[in-house]
Amino acid sequence: MQMVRTTGTDRPALTVTDVTLRFGGVAALDGVGFTVAPGEICGLIGPNGAGKTTLFNCVTRIYRPDSGGVSFGDTDLARVRPHDVVRLGIARTFQNLALFPSLTVLQNTVAGAHARHQAGFAAALLGWPGTRSRQRRIEGEAMDILAELDLTDVAHRPAHGLPYGTLKRVELARALAARPRLLLLDEPAGGLTHAEVRDLGDLILRLRRDHDLGALLVEHHMGLVMSISDHVVAMEFGRKIADGTPDEVRAERRVIEAYLGKAS
Amino acid sequence: MTPIHVRTGSAAHRGLQIAGLAAAAGALLLGATMEAFRVGQLTNVMIFAIAISGLNLATGYTGLLSIGHSAFFGLGAYTTGVMVVTYGAAPMTTIPLAVLLCAVLGFVVGLPALRIRGLYLALVTLAVGVAFPEVVRRFEDLTGGAAGLVIRSRQLAPPEWTGLTVPQRGIWLYWVSAAALLITLVLVRNLTRSRLGIAMIATRDNEIAAAASGVRLATVKTTVFGLSGAVTGLAGSLFAMYVGALSPDGSFTLLKSIELITGLFLGGAATLFGPVVGAFAVVYLPYFTADLASGHVSGVIFGAVLIAIVFLMPEGIAGVAGRFLGRFIRIAPHENQGERP
Repeated sequence: MQMVRTTGTDRPALTVTDVTLRFGGVAALDGVGFTVAPGEICGLIGPNGAGKTTLFNCVTRIYRPDSGGVSFGDTDLARVRPHDVVRLGIARTFQNLALFPSLTVLQNTVAGAHARHQAGFAAALLGWPGTRSRQRRIEGEAMDILAELDLTDVAHRPAHGLPYGTLKRVELARALAARPRLLLLDEPAGGLTHAEVRDLGDLILRLRRDHDLGALLVEHHMGLVMSISDHVVAMEFGRKIADGTPDEVRAERRVIEAYLGKAS
Repeated sequence: MTPIHVRTGSAAHRGLQIAGLAAAAGALLLGATMEAFRVGQLTNVMIFAIAISGLNLATGYTGLLSIGHSAFFGLGAYTTGVMVVTYGAAPMTTIPLAVLLCAVLGFVVGLPALRIRGLYLALVTLAVGVAFPEVVRRFEDLTGGAAGLVIRSRQLAPPEWTGLTVPQRGIWLYWVSAAALLITLVLVRNLTRSRLGIAMIATRDNEIAAAASGVRLATVKTTVFGLSGAVTGLAGSLFAMYVGALSPDGSFTLLKSIELITGLFLGGAATLFGPVVGAFAVVYLPYFTADLASGHVSGVIFGAVLIAIVFLMPEGIAGVAGRFLGRFIRIAPHENQGERP
């Protein structure tokens, strides 16, 4: 595949322009547009059914918008196949865990680095001398990420059967292994305890600093979103209703109405 | 008792590996000294083990259920049969062509897997399995049709450099099958430990997440199906040399596919040695149950034993054996695994 690769120094912005997507007669997304600047943490909030995850799936090419577009730097994501999104530097986690249960935590992380390495099918089959050392190096890099996320102890355990909070971090490790410029986090705090949510906020900020990446997070947990985001986009019924700093969005009348209901 | 811990790459681990290889070599040498009938049976087991290893790549590791692997087995067998009978080729020289044709067929059968999955894909492979005997009948000039294709034993003589005579072809094929099985196991082991192996299991476990990690599902599925077909085709080619007489209704119907699937799940899907254990089970269990009772009752007992094994050992015999051994010897990952070399 010929594609302009984003290099380490390249810091593209994610631009969502006027995206509309209909399921039958229902407009799941209706003219949504915003920008996630490079290195920025952008929170996407809204009540259930507001279209947050649908928008996410447009970015990761699981859905294709009916009109409007999503671009990352100069690349129009509509022209990118789903498995190539990660090659542009966009990695994601899933709302309901989507790990590989029969693989170990380390292997799950190695799988996340899949896009960064060459195929070498024949070499893999024949066990070429270089294959083993390359495998070691990839595993080494994965172990570094696991250490960073405090997962070293479970590295060789199968993902199947580990606690939920741990698995959430394994998903994060898998996404980081792709060395993304932008992380898409779909409800990272979902199902976590209060203490875990606080740690998660610190973790996301630390990862942004250490890995030089931006993040777009869909989240219900207002405390988390408001405390770590540089920029918040609020949605309701498929439309954007607010876009600004956390304080601006919090003060927006339509956001308060969407969350608390209209005052009579 | 507490298990002995052995680290991968340590001297103790090397020792265990060498001991395992020595035990396998010893078993093979012992098998070779048995009477001709037993040698033939063991050859059959090894051929089966190769065929099931092929199925294991698609169905075990990648989760693409195939009910059509009898077609690959048959295509491999008929390629060798036709080349030997019609073109007078030496049996061993037909193996590459048989493997290649089966790889191509596998790739083509794998194409629908890009769009459909699960039982729908199984139905496509079912169609291929059903069609194969019909195709053999249709091309009567080449394949001998329903009457079958007979390879004369003279044509199956071992190569001259071995110094073996025609009546010794049984022991020749025994060692050829052993070598082919060994090569197959090494290739499968290398493959499943590689980046592609992880991609295969990732595809099986969660396609969307695999694609999000950059796995090209289309490439993985078609490649794996091609490889899977090739390995089962290799077994088919050896099988033609083993039986010497091919007929479309003999060994290449859906029943063969079912036997392969049964062997895979009995032995242990997505394990390296599961197919070998499964091959033993599929070949010997019917004899064992026939000893217990005669006639139709033995079939019923065979079925009951199958159900019991599947219920009691859902991970297959190899999976249970691995866990049992784990009580005594535990192989832990290398201490440095993961650290930069």
